[in-house]
Amino acid sequence: MGGFFVPKQGAELWAYIIGAFVVGLGILYALSLTPKSLRKTLIAGITFLGGLFFALEFFWPVDTAGPMAGKNFLTAYIKPVSSVTTILGAFALGLGLYSMVSIHGRAVAKRRENWGFSAVLLGAILAMAIPAIWKEYDKSPQIAGFYRIMYDGGFNPLNATMFSIVAFYIVSAAYRAFRIRTVEAGILLMSAVIIMIGQVTLGQLLTAWIPNENFSSNFRVENLSNWILTRVNSPAQLAISLGIGVGTLATALRLWLSLERGAFFDEEL
Amino acid sequence: MKHATWPARIILLVLSGIILYAILSARRGKKLYLRRIPGLNAIEEAVGRAVEMGRPILGSIGLGDVDVITLQALAIISSVATTAARFAHRIVLPLRNAAQVPIAEEALRAAYTAGGRPDVFNEQDLPFLSGEQFAYAAGVAGIIQRERPAATFLFGTFYAEALIIAENANQVGAIQIAGTPSTTQVPFFIAACDYVLIGDEYYAATAYITRQPTLLGSLIGQDIGKMLLLGMIILGVVLVTFGSPFIANIFGDKDLETFAAYFRAATGGK
Repeated sequence: MGGFFVPKQGAELWAYIIGAFVVGLGILYALSLTPKSLRKTLIAGITFLGGLFFALEFFWPVDTAGPMAGKNFLTAYIKPVSSVTTILGAFALGLGLYSMVSIHGRAVAKRRENWGFSAVLLGAILAMAIPAIWKEYDKSPQIAGFYRIMYDGGFNPLNATMFSIVAFYIVSAAYRAFRIRTVEAGILLMSAVIIMIGQVTLGQLLTAWIPNENFSSNFRVENLSNWILTRVNSPAQLAISLGIGVGTLATALRLWLSLERGAFFDEEL
Repeated sequence: MKHATWPARIILLVLSGIILYAILSARRGKKLYLRRIPGLNAIEEAVGRAVEMGRPILGSIGLGDVDVITLQALAIISSVATTAARFAHRIVLPLRNAAQVPIAEEALRAAYTAGGRPDVFNEQDLPFLSGEQFAYAAGVAGIIQRERPAATFLFGTFYAEALIIAENANQVGAIQIAGTPSTTQVPFFIAACDYVLIGDEYYAATAYITRQPTLLGSLIGQDIGKMLLLGMIILGVVLVTFGSPFIANIFGDKDLETFAAYFRAATGGK
């Protein structure tokens, strides 16, 4: 079984690619012939088997010593089975690219409003994709240089610019949130001020004259700030995470057992 | 590779059993009560506002892969789409992950069909923008500024782009409902949005909106599970406070044993 998943080279690689392509097409054709009701059962069955594999691998006791220490009989197959997700994602990337090109291609072709932005987007896709693919086959410094100009000189600064905008949005959002109109907003403002002051040296100097020992140390701003973060904020976050964890378990169970209805199935199975 | 310890096995199996039992009970017709969640009550109001103003609704299912969080987000947006379809109204749902495209298209097509207006569904309203975080944020911000949505629904996994999207929507005066299990982004949504679903309210949303027995039962099962965990936490705190190593021994946790030893010493025990 392990040999099947080992990377192949040369003619064997091409044989595997063509084989996978033919088998894939055969499965798609068989699925297209399957009645809708049977197709749902098939999808539910495959979902169940996929989930069962990961659940069993997680729950099955592991060896405590020897070459299989920390592993069970399914652990070796985790990587190849997980690759299925990657392969499906690769198929989906094509669909995403098709969606993008069709929407913006039509906008340019029909000269819709703001079609110029669509043209720039399509041009940018080509300008980034061509050198990125080309440099894999042509190792000349010109191609590598062009790619670096596009990526390091174009993409990265644009990315950083968008990220830097967050700073300004934080100010405008915080201004609205901190307007004291309710008791909750007042508490939020008070805690935010204490934490902000407690985190900076200048702020800490405000209460530096209070002895940092015994009961009085509780009134130093850095200790107050630390108390809010570790005794109020952290437990609240952990409580939220606990609820989310149970919610995730419930949703995962519904999906695994195909009990979900509506968006993914027409009716309860 | 992580594997379950025996306590984790038992807790997860018990919780799963409780949730499945609650689902089966609900499907057999047991009456269940749900508390009011303001953010979810506001969905109809937000859709109605968008319809009255003649401006579209904007949705986002975040940056996640096709995982439980994203599928839940899609289920919520689909419920919103069903409501919007009754008024033949548009939802624009820009996507960040290419794998989301076919799933989102199917889900929204089904939602518009359920709402009685499959003709209003337009695949072009679900554009794939980019796999890059800030390129996606820039794209959504651009759509918001051009389309000027009257309502936004932001559900799923979000990071720093949460505030860029929410603040842009705020600038165009959109009513905003958001929910995310990413605890680090909840404060930003609270600051920028009108209604925010916190913690497991995110997973309660579809049950609350659709009132389907399976989802309601699952929600009740979750609540029983949480109460069980809360009881275990209280029991653990009491036992450790009184110096008992019982919990520490069960979980094999050295920190808990240290705490228990500290309290034993503080109270004069051995």
